[in-house]
Amino acid sequence: MNPTLKAFIKKELVQTLRDTRMRVLLFGAPILQLTIFGLALSTEIKNIKLAVFSQPGDTAAVRLAEDFYSSGWFKPSVFRPGEDPFELIGSGRADAVLIMPAGGLGRAAGRAEGRMQLLVDASNATKARVVEAYARTITARAAAAYGPAPEQPLSFDVRVLYNPAMESSLFLVPGVMGMLVCLVTIILTAMSLTRERELGTFETIVSAPLSDAEILLGKTLPFVLLGLVVFSLVLTAAHLIFGVPVRGPLWQLFLAAFVFVVTTVSVGTSISTLAKNQQQAMLGGFMFLFPAILMSGIMYPVENMPAAVIGAAYLDPLMYFMRLLRSIMLKGGDLQVFWTNVGALALMAVFAAGLAYNRFKQTLD
Amino acid sequence: MFSIRTEGLRKQFGAVKALDGVSFDLSAGLLHGLIGSDGAGKTTTLRLLAGLLRPSAGEVLYYRDGKDSSFAEMRPSLAYMPQQASLYPDLSVGEHLEFFRELYRLDAATFTRRSGELLEITRLDKFRERRAGKLSGGMYKKLGLMCALLQSPSVLLLDEPTNGVDPISRREFWELLYALAAKKILIIVSTAYMDEAERCSRVHLLDRGRLLSSGEPREVLKAAGAASFEEIFIKGGGR
Repeated sequence: MNPTLKAFIKKELVQTLRDTRMRVLLFGAPILQLTIFGLALSTEIKNIKLAVFSQPGDTAAVRLAEDFYSSGWFKPSVFRPGEDPFELIGSGRADAVLIMPAGGLGRAAGRAEGRMQLLVDASNATKARVVEAYARTITARAAAAYGPAPEQPLSFDVRVLYNPAMESSLFLVPGVMGMLVCLVTIILTAMSLTRERELGTFETIVSAPLSDAEILLGKTLPFVLLGLVVFSLVLTAAHLIFGVPVRGPLWQLFLAAFVFVVTTVSVGTSISTLAKNQQQAMLGGFMFLFPAILMSGIMYPVENMPAAVIGAAYLDPLMYFMRLLRSIMLKGGDLQVFWTNVGALALMAVFAAGLAYNRFKQTLD
Repeated sequence: MFSIRTEGLRKQFGAVKALDGVSFDLSAGLLHGLIGSDGAGKTTTLRLLAGLLRPSAGEVLYYRDGKDSSFAEMRPSLAYMPQQASLYPDLSVGEHLEFFRELYRLDAATFTRRSGELLEITRLDKFRERRAGKLSGGMYKKLGLMCALLQSPSVLLLDEPTNGVDPISRREFWELLYALAAKKILIIVSTAYMDEAERCSRVHLLDRGRLLSSGEPREVLKAAGAASFEEIFIKGGGR
């Protein structure tokens, strides 16, 4: 290896790893964040407060209410007899109220008139849709006890692929992994280069008989390596803590991570050329990170966004990395998906590295 | 041996004229002092000589053994020590030497010999393991000088190397510079301390980007009819 690059890598690693706070930030914080985000960013809706209004002695209604509560999605809402169901929802003591037919559910169902009313709090529309879907599933299952359902001319059997238990962590954790690698590499690179300029050590390096490319590579290569170390760490943590599988080949995963880290380190370098101090570098890093995370599809599908935002999302390296991680880890890494997204990411890496090199050269001049 | 000549050197930063037509000769093997108060243009001159800035007008000419040369030819033999802290506070004295050894691509034998000599001269050998951020002001400057000297430069540019250093360390630092000048190295040192002007073999007095005078310290004082350099600045072009 070129001795200059070796010297830079050694120096950056010594400087970064010697500082206890930096070690914690680099290796401890991503695992902690992965765990917190993985648990907190769940799209599954549980503990829905349900109040069931029924006549005394309506055993069929009691059985159905038990089906709801034993599903794990609903929990009983506490209310007094005669309370207004709208008031219950309005005060937030119930998320949904199930009102049974006046003459008793069993009798009404026997006449094929078992119509109930479900009041749902739709101040959170997403949650309301989920509550409705859950309620339909449970009542459909319970309806089977009253005889076979009338024949439907069209029907389908659902088979859920890649995530049969529909665990949201399997979907979200790969996204959070990409987000953390993006955050660490951009902020670390931008701050390290700006720190060098702030300290005045940059002038010493620039006046040494080194080429511009050697200085740029020397200052960025250590962060590509650190980014890959952080990626390996969060990958292991995702597997051990959340049981996220790696169904595709590891070479795909690490090649994708390498191209992505080269892109983010180049973005970090470009940000450092615009920042005058480390605070500005950090702020610049977050100004890139927030929209990049929102447009990546980690939390919301890109397809649901307005056309202009979808256009911008195609310039977001995190979106491609996200697709790659989910495809390789959950679906086994289809080669066409892999090369299409790695190709797009590689183009971005070349563009970002070119921009970083030009900006860097300008600051040297 | 390298020597440098500047001709009508100008540098403008926006509306600010940092240097305004400075011409002087920097002959090889001498200890040159760029003397002037803050904002006189000393750092800009040194940065232009080190190739870190491009002149707005005028030129810097390089000579090797009396013949025309270029910055590219001189660059491997040039060492520059910036004014502000130019070291890594979290790296030790030994780690700094190792880092600069790789930057200057010194082989193991040369490095062992050079670093041994420098550690002995600067008396930093006992502090090899100490981090730069924990060194005293004088020791810190000596480490900066040591890193610059590791590659045995022929041209040494030092920007206010004794700024903020106690008087004893300042004296030691100048003794080090004399020892280097005796080895025929071209040394250009900038300082705002007027008493340090008399320690140089040639002085170049700068004021608000203009060259007031150049020459041997005694000649400059005699020509100005002043008893000290401080007096020249107070009486003449100084503020």
